[in-house]
Amino acid sequence: MSSQHTLASLLKSVEPLHARLTVNDVAERLLQPDFKGFLSLPVVDDDNRPLGLVSRYRLQDIFMQRFGRDLWGGHPVQHAVNTESLVVPVHTPLEAAASIITAQVQYPVTEDFILVDGEGRYLGLGTLMDLLKAMEQRGAQRNQTLQRALRELKHSQAHLVQSEKMASLGQMVAGVAHELNTPLGYVRNNVQLLQELVEPIIGLAQAQAQLGACLADPQTEQAQLEQALLAVQQATEQAAPEYFSADFTPLIEDTLYGVDQLAELAVSLKDFARLDRAMSEAINLNDCIASALVIARNTLKDKAEVITRLDELPPITCTPSQINQVLLNLLTNAAQAMDRPGKILLRSWVDDGQVHLSLQDNGRGMPKEVQRRIFDPFFTTKAVGEGTGLGLAISYKIIQEHGGRIRFVSEPGRGTRFLISLPIHQAASSAPLDLQRSA
Amino acid sequence: MSQQPVRILFVDDEERILRTLAMQFRRHYQVFTESDPQKVMALLQQQPMDIVVSDQRMPGMSGSQLLAQVQQDYPHTLRILLTGYSDLEAAVEALNSGGIFRYLTKPWVTSEMVATLAQASNMVLRQRASQSNVMPISSARSNRSAERANLLLLDNDPQTLAVTQQLCVENQIKLFHARSLDEAVRLLNEQSLDMLVSDIQLDGNDVRPLLMTLAQAHPQLLSIIITPFQDTQVLLKLINQAQIFRYLPKPIRRGMYQRAISTALAQVEEWRQQPAPVVTRLAATPVVAEEQSRVNGLMGMLGRLRQRLTA
Repeated sequence: MSSQHTLASLLKSVEPLHARLTVNDVAERLLQPDFKGFLSLPVVDDDNRPLGLVSRYRLQDIFMQRFGRDLWGGHPVQHAVNTESLVVPVHTPLEAAASIITAQVQYPVTEDFILVDGEGRYLGLGTLMDLLKAMEQRGAQRNQTLQRALRELKHSQAHLVQSEKMASLGQMVAGVAHELNTPLGYVRNNVQLLQELVEPIIGLAQAQAQLGACLADPQTEQAQLEQALLAVQQATEQAAPEYFSADFTPLIEDTLYGVDQLAELAVSLKDFARLDRAMSEAINLNDCIASALVIARNTLKDKAEVITRLDELPPITCTPSQINQVLLNLLTNAAQAMDRPGKILLRSWVDDGQVHLSLQDNGRGMPKEVQRRIFDPFFTTKAVGEGTGLGLAISYKIIQEHGGRIRFVSEPGRGTRFLISLPIHQAASSAPLDLQRSA
Repeated sequence: MSQQPVRILFVDDEERILRTLAMQFRRHYQVFTESDPQKVMALLQQQPMDIVVSDQRMPGMSGSQLLAQVQQDYPHTLRILLTGYSDLEAAVEALNSGGIFRYLTKPWVTSEMVATLAQASNMVLRQRASQSNVMPISSARSNRSAERANLLLLDNDPQTLAVTQQLCVENQIKLFHARSLDEAVRLLNEQSLDMLVSDIQLDGNDVRPLLMTLAQAHPQLLSIIITPFQDTQVLLKLINQAQIFRYLPKPIRRGMYQRAISTALAQVEEWRQQPAPVVTRLAATPVVAEEQSRVNGLMGMLGRLRQRLTA
């Protein structure tokens, strides 16, 4: 493992030259086939410590001078050694070595580098070419690891998007369950009251029918008739028909109203989920707002009054279930930003090729440092377990993939306003459909 | 004795709920309705109520907030929450600051609602009767030592024990510590206790049947529940069937615990000033047969306690 990660794998053992050798001797050596692969040769002192490298380049310079060889050829090579040559301990990690070497290497490249042991004694040479190759291999390996990490990240992101969706769905279901309980409460009670109310009326009807039969029958005796009449009187007292309609009518009206409410909730749930339609044409954004408001009604009821000013909108192409998710998210955030009962203003309008939706609250607003991060995944100001920190990140992504924009302004103490703009005509892209699959 | 009918106020932002409830109960009680919770306190000033039944989620004010205000200004008005939303936080608030008598859920079962209001009005009538009975005020129990009240702790959690010991010393309360249910039953039979502090489990044993039994056998014992359990259904049952006084989270926070103890002490002392024993708690009987039989069993074991209280 260590050879993989240190310079040791690049070490080439080359017998070092002694400082007393002449320039000519060194030139001779460099011409030998064994040293073909090297740009330079190492020179060491008596203690085997490197003095530096002597390069072909340097010798060329010497020999190219007029009478260069004659003048300098017999001199000790020591004078031709570059004392600034690169010396790297062999146990240096590959990366660190690469950065030391690249920081110091000069153009043109004329030398190799010297590898020494921990004591600084000469061990061998390394070439830049080998270093480059090793680094490239390293990079490829790292790339693979990164690719794998990226795949895993994407996978877990899809997971998180899914769990955020489930969290908002759960919240929605809880809200709607309560919405159902109220009409269920009075409808159930009304039906029970109606039963109690109608039973004596049935008794009265029976008594009257009997009286009618007695009257129609010429054979009826006086006593029988009187008894039937008495029964009717008693039943009338029991049923109190004069009060009956005063009770009956509102009970029936309220019950019907409650059943309509339940039906409306069922429709809203279906509209909200829109499982039957993914990417769809001809969606009116105002309808999305209406169904998100029904779903969020219960969350909002005790927190804020909702005011809507919705202009006529042209139909747009979008994935309504995703737009609804964004709207519900913004509405829930607005409700949670209320320290005391406040107001939420929802407006929609259209101008040059775009529909706009603005959602403004007079809640507590956000400080600058929060504003900077609200679209960041996992950023949340809510308590642990209350928010995934993905709501706005996903909203951002949804609007972006619809070719739209989501922006906001916020002021602490005054409130926050979100503005969503969506193009009426989608650019011919299947991006939102794509998201539908992954989310 | 006045034969004034029992006055009930229903508060809900849905008018249809108010209409159906009014229609149902107008024959037995004097029924009032209000759809705006913010007008309730003004209404109560003009027309005192015996029972207030409120929804939880309403614009402007929540039911638990409203009932907390009612509790403060009219402590003798019985308070009931009627909600479609089982929300732990709201239930805890309604109990701890609203001191509610029952927590009912929508849609309600008509017969249960009838029974609950019958119990509540029963309590109102008994309260009225005990107030109109002129009896000499007995001076605070003379056979008592300097302690202001007796508290039974039924929990082996060291932190709860330590804080309870401290608070008892500071508040001049005599502390009895039961390490098991048997010991608790023995102490309940032997000692004259005013408060019970307990978790809902003791070494894996369920304490709830005992709590339910005590609500019936010893209605003047104020129980403070300190528990790590955060379950709305459990809490609703403890409110309705064990008439617990407070529900506090474990690990216990000292400030919270101190406030619960002082309120309980004030309650205990107020009762002592009353000429006759006041009807203080009336728990709904358990619906599940098995639970009822456990309560009956415990009831037998608490025989001496009952003898003493009814003597």
